[in-house]
Amino acid sequence: MSKISAPRSNREFVEACIKSGDAVRIKQEVDWDNEAGAIVRRVCELGQAAPFMENIKDYPGFSYFGAPLSTYRRMAISLGMDPASTLPEIGKEYLKRTNSEPIAPVTIDRKDAPCKENILLGDDVDLCKLPVPLVHDGDGGRYVGTWHAVVTKHPVRGDVNWGMYRQMMWDGRTMSGAVFPFSDLGKALTEYYLPRGEGCPFATAIGLSPLAAMAACAPSPIPEPELVGMLSGEPARLVKCETNDLEVPADAEIILEGVILPDYKVEEGPFGEYTGYRTSPRDFRVTFRVNAITYRNNATMTISNMGTPQDEGQMLRSFSLGLELEKLLRSQGIPITGVYMHPRSTHHMMIVGVKPTYAGVASQIAHLAFGSKLGPWFHMVMVVDDKTDIYNWDEVYHAFCTRCHPANGIHIYKNTVGTPLYPFATPHERKYSIGSKVLFDCLWPVDWDPVNDVPTTVSFKNVYSQEIQDRVAGNWTAYGYPPVK
Amino acid sequence: MNQWEVFVMDVAELAEGQDLELTIRTLNPGVQKYTYKRVRAQVSSSLDQFADQLQVRLGRGQLSKARFSIRVIEEIQRCPAKYL
Ligand SMILES: Cc1cc2nc3c(=O)[nH]c(=O)nc-3n(C[C@H](O)[C@H](O)[C@H](O)COP(=O)(O)O)c2cc1C
Repeated sequence: MSKISAPRSNREFVEACIKSGDAVRIKQEVDWDNEAGAIVRRVCELGQAAPFMENIKDYPGFSYFGAPLSTYRRMAISLGMDPASTLPEIGKEYLKRTNSEPIAPVTIDRKDAPCKENILLGDDVDLCKLPVPLVHDGDGGRYVGTWHAVVTKHPVRGDVNWGMYRQMMWDGRTMSGAVFPFSDLGKALTEYYLPRGEGCPFATAIGLSPLAAMAACAPSPIPEPELVGMLSGEPARLVKCETNDLEVPADAEIILEGVILPDYKVEEGPFGEYTGYRTSPRDFRVTFRVNAITYRNNATMTISNMGTPQDEGQMLRSFSLGLELEKLLRSQGIPITGVYMHPRSTHHMMIVGVKPTYAGVASQIAHLAFGSKLGPWFHMVMVVDDKTDIYNWDEVYHAFCTRCHPANGIHIYKNTVGTPLYPFATPHERKYSIGSKVLFDCLWPVDWDPVNDVPTTVSFKNVYSQEIQDRVAGNWTAYGYPPVK
Repeated sequence: MNQWEVFVMDVAELAEGQDLELTIRTLNPGVQKYTYKRVRAQVSSSLDQFADQLQVRLGRGQLSKARFSIRVIEEIQRCPAKYL
């Protein structure tokens, strides 16, 4: 593999983004109470440069970096690619790297770990010492974790999990979070810790390198510390925690260490979510007791502000969910051309292109997609043929509106895995995470005679001979039209 | 005077003249703003009945027009002592 030069820390990433014009320094004072959140939200909705806020009210010495990966340009920069790379190019690179050999992390000495520059223990531990933002007005609390990794280890198998599960500050020592039961951490809690009444050690790492953050929210079966290595082409640098045996990214800006309590829960939410709504109900959720805080000098807190498109909740998750499904379908030998999730679908619709060589292939795709670990996060699969450009919504929409048979092409699945976040779900379904799914099969049936039954696509490219196409295209300006790019 | 805020599904949960157990958050300016406490308290729709003020948010964070005064009788510690 050629040498990758991806930013190895959030700091290197901020610098790279400022250099390319994809981040701006904000020097004037910004209030952590709504103002910073509103800046990040507006940046997401306008698709503008990420704000690096250097002067935060009440918190001298700290800074914020908002909307880290809410554009494809910043995603390309995070991978060490040309910012102008197209989405298919970025996707191809992600697939290449995540199909390569795993690269194990290395553990470094704590004296070399930037995240140990300041250490708060015992009575000094107080989350209010960190510039925890109120991200949206009306949220249930200030959110410590909006762009971060919660690090845990499976008590029996020993595998390490980094997951991005939102965390709300309840008081100076307590956080509550939305850890869904189908997530890796959710399963470790419900299968092991909760029935035994044992606390689960955790560490939250905030201000990660962008690829570490990408790994924490990627639905990949590869353990995240190795996945970061594969994405960045070099081992992730880890360091041991102060109060437990977990290891955290040494270059992270802020680390919180503590225990997930098995017998105590506090309220969490409501919170602005990736769907563009505040949907999931306030509830008693997984509760984290913080026992240590370590942080870099001049630490930067990262903020993702989820809401209407497009923020990293939609951009990055659509990207990695789509590509992980592509890997799964290819591993099963399905003749797909690709998988794409439009970020504006708030990662609710998988568009899959396939060569329809046998009957039932759309339904096979839907069963695999909905039945996989990725399945809870989307409820629509649309299958189009290999001639439809999955990245071109006009073509996909045309295929959907013309080829999907209202009675035979729409398949509904009830009582599937869901989340409390689906805006269309009934209050009962949200409370119990009950889902339902739909497949839109936009393929011509294989039992139609391809010559006499399948309609002919009437387009410039499809109905005219190459000779006519070339003549018309060649004469285009001579006819009096402006040149076509 | 302290400013507090509470989340409820229905304002009727804030019955006047009774001891209530509520999870409230402080709106006082400063770095503690929005941190929570569990308390036993009384509320009144008469804003000068008690010294502290309480504003109300509904299920999805909407600010209610209802306003109360509140007397915090005591803080309740729900967290098991072994973790404190
Ligand atoms: C900004 C952001 C916030 C997220 N918040 C949550 C959350 O609160 N709870 C959750 O279960 N997943 C959340 N996710 C999705 C998870 O990070 C994702 O499902 C990840 O793969 C979790 O790993 P796991 O399913 O392997 O445990 C979030 C993703 C992003 C990008």
